[in-house]
Amino acid sequence: MDFILQQFINGLTVGGIYALIALGYTMVYGVLKLINFAHGDLCILGAYIGLTSLTSGAFGGLSTPVLLALSFIIAMIVVAVAGTLLDQLAYKPLRRAHRLSPVVSALGASMLIENGIMLIWGPNVRVFPKDLLPNITWHIGGAYLSFVQLMIMIGAFVLMVALYLFVHHTRLGTAIRAAAIDQDAARLMGINVNRVIALVFIIGPVLGAVGGLFIGLYYRQAYFTMGWSYGLSAFIAAIIGGIGNIPGAMLGGLLLGLFNAFAAGYVSSSWQDAITFALLIAILLVRPSGLLGERVAEKV
Amino acid sequence: MDDRVTETTAGSPAPSVPVPAASKPSGWSGLLRFVGPLLWCVGLLLPVTLSPAWITVGGIFAIYAIVALSQDIVLGRAGMYDMGHAVYFGVGAYISAILSLTFGWPILWTIPVAVVVSAALGAVLSAPIVKLRGDYLLVVTIGFNAIFVLAMKNNLFGLTGGPDGIFGVSGPSVFGHVFGSQSDLFYLNWVVLALVLWIMRNLDRSALGRTFRYLKYDELAATTLGVNAHRYKVAAFALAAGIAGLAGTLFAMQLSAVSPGSFQFTDSVVLFAIVLVGGQASVPGVLLGTAMMFVVPQIFTDLAQYRYLVFGIAMIVVMVLRPQGIWPARRRGA
Repeated sequence: MDFILQQFINGLTVGGIYALIALGYTMVYGVLKLINFAHGDLCILGAYIGLTSLTSGAFGGLSTPVLLALSFIIAMIVVAVAGTLLDQLAYKPLRRAHRLSPVVSALGASMLIENGIMLIWGPNVRVFPKDLLPNITWHIGGAYLSFVQLMIMIGAFVLMVALYLFVHHTRLGTAIRAAAIDQDAARLMGINVNRVIALVFIIGPVLGAVGGLFIGLYYRQAYFTMGWSYGLSAFIAAIIGGIGNIPGAMLGGLLLGLFNAFAAGYVSSSWQDAITFALLIAILLVRPSGLLGERVAEKV
Repeated sequence: MDDRVTETTAGSPAPSVPVPAASKPSGWSGLLRFVGPLLWCVGLLLPVTLSPAWITVGGIFAIYAIVALSQDIVLGRAGMYDMGHAVYFGVGAYISAILSLTFGWPILWTIPVAVVVSAALGAVLSAPIVKLRGDYLLVVTIGFNAIFVLAMKNNLFGLTGGPDGIFGVSGPSVFGHVFGSQSDLFYLNWVVLALVLWIMRNLDRSALGRTFRYLKYDELAATTLGVNAHRYKVAAFALAAGIAGLAGTLFAMQLSAVSPGSFQFTDSVVLFAIVLVGGQASVPGVLLGTAMMFVVPQIFTDLAQYRYLVFGIAMIVVMVLRPQGIWPARRRGA
């Protein structure tokens, strides 16, 4: 029982991170039908920016909570700028091109960001210092809950609720949903689709930067190829939930996190990726549009 | 076609792609038909004129050109988004290495096994998934690649040697002559490349190639006319996987070693990019793309650490400037 509870806590933590990153994939896919392969690397860029601002000493005099908040804000801003540049330079010229052209552009952008990170911060693993966060651990019914886990769960929960409210209860959010369903109809209704796309490339990277910095703080490390592995997991989470569907990405992220935690606990961690992909393939074969995705009727 | 269905539901108008008619050589492509074999013959002189390092580069170019051409069969000709093609390449390489080192087979005898097993695997893996819509197919094939690499790393059946792989594959011996030197291997790879180019040429002119093209541009119409879409899509995967497996054997001989690191997801991405950067369904385009990825970096070895950074930028720039690829297939009959 203790073990199950512990895996549940671990799974929720990782699942919250996956969900934050998955939202970026799913929102871009929703409006552009593009798999933004560079998103995972953008998130890890957030982890590096956060690490640098936490440890550079430039903000030496500040207390821990203020420093932490400041680092998150800096990471969010830098990654949002990077995401916007990415869209403007690599994707926008290809809006009317063949569907695979922006995919290759995205793969190129991913390589560019990943190797840019390597050239700036070096190829070795960068360790997050131990004393960045208060070292508190609570015992709950035999399981452990650390401060960083609680912070990640609360942070992910608050951001997801905020996004949900924004998307479902504001005019701008409605515009995003409309553009995802039918771009031309949205245009006819007077929605500025270009602005929606620009907005999506800000919201996604902002959430991703938080997710990336959470990864860094949780595992206390960052390395330049991290974007691929976490990005791919988050992307799988988005597909499991139904790609293009915002609550689906949240659900998919949490489910995948829990699934991973229990698979690592009960089976073997050396096969973790294989198990994740096996789950994905199984879900796609049974329910090709994901758990919450609507069935797309094949038009004849 | 799936693409259009998605785009219509998304609301953006589908770009009207005229279905290329059957091939009718004229002008430029007629010239190419003459220039191509000539270039291949010039290539035969490379080992005489170049330094050993460049002979190796030439050999590796030939191997990756074969894999990229096979990727093009699935991606560029049949229009299926396969981003796990390194699997079949790797399966061929591993089968040859295991059969020749663990079971002591002569390496040449392993070639048919490598080709047949890779092709069979291509058929078995693709059969349940070819019905998936484009992007989903892409993700599942990424999954195949991840599972394959993990299986090799975890020393499947105790045969694959774990993360370090298998060492000591030697070249073939024919009538007492051992293909050991780099120039021997170069000739071998170059000849196999010619064979694959010949297959590609025939594919372009055959009913099979036309069916692939038809499925790519309008699956619905093809099905209406009685084409068994599922069977032909699986056939495209099997054919491509078999050719990639053949290249795998060459790769095992060329490097005299196989390891999981050579067949990662990144390698599949590079193959995918070669086809799209070069030009889908275009043999010269794919060869050009392969040269960009594997030959050009050898010129700038001092800048090796910037290699992927430059690749990344190049991929974006080429796509933005030439979304159809550098050397797209001619719209035949247009």
